[in-house]
Amino acid sequence: MDVAVQILASGLTLGALYAVSTVGLALVYGSLNMLNMSHGALLALGGYVCYYAMTVLGLPAIVGVAAAMAICGLAGLAIYHLAARPMLASRNFETQIFIATIGVGAVLENVILRIFGPQPVAQPLRLQGALVIGNVHIPNQNLLILAVAVAMMAVIAFLLNRTRIGRAIRATAQNRDAAQLMGIRIGRVYAQVLALSGALAALSGILISSLSSLLPNMGGDPMLKAFVICVVAGLGNVYGAVTAAIVLGLLEAAIQYVFGVQYSFAILLVLVIAVLIWRPAGLFGRGQVVRL
Amino acid sequence: MTPLLVLNGISAGYGHQVVIRDISLGIEEGQLVALIGPNGHGKTTLLRTISGLIRTRGGSMTLAGRRIDGMRADEIVAEGIIHVPQGDLLFPEMSVFENLRMGAFLPGAASREKDRLEEVFALLPKLKERRHQLASTLSGGERRMVGIGRGLMAGGRILMLDEPSLGLAPIVIDQIYAVIQSLRQSGRTILIVEENATRIAEIADVLHLLDNGEFAWSGSGRELLSRPELLAAYLGG
Repeated sequence: MDVAVQILASGLTLGALYAVSTVGLALVYGSLNMLNMSHGALLALGGYVCYYAMTVLGLPAIVGVAAAMAICGLAGLAIYHLAARPMLASRNFETQIFIATIGVGAVLENVILRIFGPQPVAQPLRLQGALVIGNVHIPNQNLLILAVAVAMMAVIAFLLNRTRIGRAIRATAQNRDAAQLMGIRIGRVYAQVLALSGALAALSGILISSLSSLLPNMGGDPMLKAFVICVVAGLGNVYGAVTAAIVLGLLEAAIQYVFGVQYSFAILLVLVIAVLIWRPAGLFGRGQVVRL
Repeated sequence: MTPLLVLNGISAGYGHQVVIRDISLGIEEGQLVALIGPNGHGKTTLLRTISGLIRTRGGSMTLAGRRIDGMRADEIVAEGIIHVPQGDLLFPEMSVFENLRMGAFLPGAASREKDRLEEVFALLPKLKERRHQLASTLSGGERRMVGIGRGLMAGGRILMLDEPSLGLAPIVIDQIYAVIQSLRQSGRTILIVEENATRIAEIADVLHLLDNGEFAWSGSGRELLSRPELLAAYLGG
């Protein structure tokens, strides 16, 4: 019983973390057919901005988080205007933007390395204490992560389903030409999606670094997992990505308990390969690309 | 009186390929104008150029005297040119109702969404029955109706229909034509692309025959029907 609660608690935390880092990627792929390889660097940037605001400038946590989201949102906008927009008309957009964003990510990581150095830094945004259920201790930090993830998903769902901007995003993702014929300025939608995805990356980077620590290349691993989750869910499918993130988080926690931490990613990848052999378009893909 | 929509020497294409060359035409308020001609000769390209999905390579376009060439597609919609594209291009993961609402996305149309929805449901009652169904689960005829309904939600000054009868069963084609007839009677200005020249010739005011990117012939429906050699040469019938 205790073991089950423990696995559930850490699995849900992992899943929530994965969901936060995946949603931005899925949104961007869904609306622009763009694999944003600088997503990992944006995670790190968000984590460092929050650290800088809180530790160096001594600002309150909420300001640190807001600043990180704002700066990464602007970085997303910059990626749209400087990298994506000039390539949009090209027939090979998907390949070009893939390579371009690898470059953007490398630059961003090295700027962070230059400013903050290669040594790990502790993320100041951390809750102390734990919730005790029977013999199981669940750190308050994990509960915070869970709460933030749920709140974020509620906000995203509201945005997509209930607002004008959300309707424009969904329409653009489902049919780009038709969206334009409805009077939607798709260039603006793309810019909004990349800014939003940047802000979500910041949030995700802060949460991830609060469990381990800040490193300039800390985004690489979460980005890889986020891609895996996107592919399992069906590229571009936001709700599928959230579901897949939580399932994979729970699975990973269970595998870690049964086989040991060192096997978890390998076993996970084997399972993912099996899923893709069974359903090549992803669990929630329907043959063709289904989005949002 | 100058026509509502005027194209003057319009050329356009994709990449290095020029698909339509030096097209001039005028559409007057309340007219039904048809573009006919064999497949792959630029009919759809012309509509996509007018609606701004493709940039013009030369020439000018005006709507009610205002230059619209060089505008973005979303700006041209706001000017009042409504394009119901070939293959419907519905939003597959939205319901019929949501698809129709997308037609009234722009602020000007959004304020009249309720009235327009009533009008669309009156004209296409099947859509009211199906309004909660996902667009991807509809039949071909129903999809076509949603496409037309979505266009009507926008209001606009000119309605462009790209092959509204393509790939439909004869009985459904009759329904679509009945809808086109009643739109025409309500005074709408319509530019329609149609494969079936003899059928559209019966109701169109003016027809333009597009061959290899240029107008090979223009005239009224009666003239076209009295020239069997034209029908045989270009339209296989």
